[in-house]
Amino acid sequence: MIRTPLRPLARILSARDRGENPDAIERENLRRRHEEMQDKSRARAEGRLLVLGLVFFCAFSAIGARMGVVSVSEAEEPEANAIGTPIAAQRGDIVDRHGRILATNFETHSLYAQPPQMVDPVASAKGLKAIFPDLDEERLIRDFTGKRKFVWIKKRISPEQKQAVHDIGDPGLLFGPREMRLYPNGTLAAHVLGGASFGKEGVNAAEVIGVAGVEKQFDGYLRDPANAGQPLELSLDLTVQAAAERVLAGGMKIMNARGAASILMDVHTGEVISMVSLPNFDPNDRPAPPTSGFDPSVSPLFNRAVQGLYELGSTFKIFAVAQAMNLGLVTPETIIDTRGPIRWGKFRISDFHNYGNELSVTKIIEKSSNIGTARLAQQIGAERQKQFLASLGFFEPTPFEVVESAGAQPLLPKNWSELSTMTISYGHGLSASPLHLAAAYATVANGGHYVSPTILKKEGVQHGPQVMSEQASRDSRIMLRRVVTEGTASLAEVPGYAVAGKTGTADKPKPRGGYYEDKVIATFASMFPANDPKYVLIVTLDEPSENSGSEPRRTAGWTAVPVAAEMIARVAPLLGLRPEIEPRVQPSVTLASN
Amino acid sequence: MSYLEYNVQSTPTGPRKILYLNWPLALLLCTVACVGFLQLYSVAGGSLYPWAEPQMKRFALGLTAMMMVAMVPIWFWRNMSVVAYLLSVILLIGVELMGIEGKGAQRWIDLGVIRLQPSELMKITLIMLLAAYYDWLPARRTSHPFWVLVPVMIILFPTYLVLRQPDLGTSILLLAAGGGMMFLAGVHWAYFAAVIASGVGLVSAVFESRGTDWQLIKDYQFRRIDTFLDPASDPLGAGYHITQSKIALGSGGWTGRGFMQGTQSRLNFLPEKHTDFIFTTLAEEFGFIGGISLLALYVLIIVFCIHTALATRDRYSSLITLGVAITFFLFFSVNMSMVMGLAPVVGVPLPMVSYGGSAMLVLMVAFGLVQSAHIHRPRGRRR
Repeated sequence: MIRTPLRPLARILSARDRGENPDAIERENLRRRHEEMQDKSRARAEGRLLVLGLVFFCAFSAIGARMGVVSVSEAEEPEANAIGTPIAAQRGDIVDRHGRILATNFETHSLYAQPPQMVDPVASAKGLKAIFPDLDEERLIRDFTGKRKFVWIKKRISPEQKQAVHDIGDPGLLFGPREMRLYPNGTLAAHVLGGASFGKEGVNAAEVIGVAGVEKQFDGYLRDPANAGQPLELSLDLTVQAAAERVLAGGMKIMNARGAASILMDVHTGEVISMVSLPNFDPNDRPAPPTSGFDPSVSPLFNRAVQGLYELGSTFKIFAVAQAMNLGLVTPETIIDTRGPIRWGKFRISDFHNYGNELSVTKIIEKSSNIGTARLAQQIGAERQKQFLASLGFFEPTPFEVVESAGAQPLLPKNWSELSTMTISYGHGLSASPLHLAAAYATVANGGHYVSPTILKKEGVQHGPQVMSEQASRDSRIMLRRVVTEGTASLAEVPGYAVAGKTGTADKPKPRGGYYEDKVIATFASMFPANDPKYVLIVTLDEPSENSGSEPRRTAGWTAVPVAAEMIARVAPLLGLRPEIEPRVQPSVTLASN
Repeated sequence: MSYLEYNVQSTPTGPRKILYLNWPLALLLCTVACVGFLQLYSVAGGSLYPWAEPQMKRFALGLTAMMMVAMVPIWFWRNMSVVAYLLSVILLIGVELMGIEGKGAQRWIDLGVIRLQPSELMKITLIMLLAAYYDWLPARRTSHPFWVLVPVMIILFPTYLVLRQPDLGTSILLLAAGGGMMFLAGVHWAYFAAVIASGVGLVSAVFESRGTDWQLIKDYQFRRIDTFLDPASDPLGAGYHITQSKIALGSGGWTGRGFMQGTQSRLNFLPEKHTDFIFTTLAEEFGFIGGISLLALYVLIIVFCIHTALATRDRYSSLITLGVAITFFLFFSVNMSMVMGLAPVVGVPLPMVSYGGSAMLVLMVAFGLVQSAHIHRPRGRRR
């Protein structure tokens, strides 16, 4: 590039001759050069801007054109019209263990029009307006007289409405069958069933698809025409479910809790007889899922029994004791040093009350001593504890056949230190769902076999892996019975039904670390009848507070236990258990109590 | 010292600044936001809750933020560019680390009323830094390889961080906006040609090689690409969103079904109806006319930005204004294309309309910069 020199000698010399200041020439040239450069970069910038503008314009046109094309195209109605691609109708029913209907289909009709075949569009529009006041008459007339060949009018109409439309008598008004999913029991077992909604929609049918719960889990099965007429049999018992929901709702109200969950499970087969999570919803009119900004557990859609991961507190103590007995480290009478508090770094483990310097293993469970349990856990050690809890299913989501359960991965400590070992032994530092707890308690109750919880009706006993010895299981049950007869769960005495169980009250964690002092999760894990348990019942209350006394009482013994007792009193007869007088002499109790 | 600062005395001061605001732009933004409120109200079945009311609060916050940013002289923002960029990079790295610890889903910073995503913040601070960079760089060095490499690094580093989250939509947006800035700044076109050519070549080579002996990447990587392009998070199988939204658009016709009359969206056929796919409810209820009107509003916003950019002779001001325009353009064009099946589904919201605080606040702050550039533009005659 050839630049004009800033101080051209010829001009400077001549300027000097004329007596002018030659610097003026340089300034002038410098200014010109700057302007030239500025103009050039400006021209380039404007060129670039033009290109960008072109790109914008092209994009706008493309989007606008596409919008036009999509808008003028008739509403797509292909799937069901096309021959050979029928939408699989007739979704299978869902029934409870006695064959009572939980979910079924309901035949309704959709209403559409084919304007070319209409005899009197205006009169038809008027007639339709009379039947469906929410329709826009003008609009109908416009649609019917215009170029459209197909107009949706209503996607679901009742039989009465269908008859009325039929009576208009216009051949251009047509009906298509439309199946609808119906849950005749309303909110009953809502979380287990989930809900359904429409998928592809056509004139002749609309596809019903499961969106949650077993409806989603078994969507393929329910839709498979090969299973036509074969309902999906769940393990639920409708009667028991209704009673449990009634009792739990009442209990939740009396205890001023935010939410509640209960699980009733057969300890031998793993069948879940009833599962309640409150607040609940009506699957016939499933509410919208919460938006991202909200805590999902606030939504009634949240299944606390399956999805809720809570620190389950002292209910865990029986696992440490059972394992210690299983390993032969202790017997029920072994005396454990319970001087406290245990100091571990800046952490202190102490008891609710001071129970003295030493307690027997039975008493540790009976009094719910954190220190005693932590001492046992120290003897067991982290590795063996991990193994044992894993074999009870606390490391994986439960294999429960409700679609939500796959997401309930228990929260484990990142670093399983000796301190974690101790805190987990009394139920802090490990969060699991009430369903996990139910499965683990079933293992304690049935003689030591792990049973995986199931929602499907099963035949016969599940023979899971033996996790603990028969003896350890029996001794644990005796201890759990003593928790009710002499310990923290005294309100669980139900006349005629011997209940065994363990309370657990865990402070709720704050979202940013630390624990609330006045918000707890109260859990009562129980089994009945105590001498030969058939069922496990877990009752969990979220932030209960029993206010009849001078101070609000929040511990599980005052909140979850009475609710569970009421539930057992109500459902045990429904389950076919006869009330019985507890055997007066239990041989091993005699041994232990002396 | 830029040319601008010599002309401080000619810019308005004090509360009088409000008079010099780019009022048409502000009104356009409010109009678009109102369209958003209406749609959110309709999607919720004629209720302010759960979407319309929080959205209104957020917009009020955004409007305040825009005003505050606009009142501060643009040269202050230029001088803060590096700081702002570094801050958002640190935040990005921060959430990356915290996100691992908190089992994912920790991409947010809580500001009380709304929660801010650092990746959203990055969109604006990246533009700020690039504008400041090209303002500082002498024009003749723009296309020097070294001085091209610097902004490329500036763009790629945060893009990589965002991609790791993984947030494909935002990283595409960052990349495209950064590239657009470099293009506007006058980097030689050969660079762009080379990058585009090699990119196209690489992608086509990879896909060509699928199933042959000389396959360039592993099978599972292909599957990963497939799921990336076609998110498997879609519970009803690939393309469900698109089919449903096409049905919604089609059933809207020219004039739509009328406000609150949309069935496709109200009957819960569209899982993302209040966020990324909100355009479908608009198109269903107001038809082609409604859709094209919204597009026209967006176009007008872009036009006013370009007008502001042309009116100023300060390089930083014009670059930042155009950068904001590009980002805004990318937002709505990618979203609309995605909804209408012109582009694969990547999570990009419809700006100012979709439910969500982060994107809206960031856009409002960005428009605050545009307003600041407009208010504080040099008003002296050209020398």
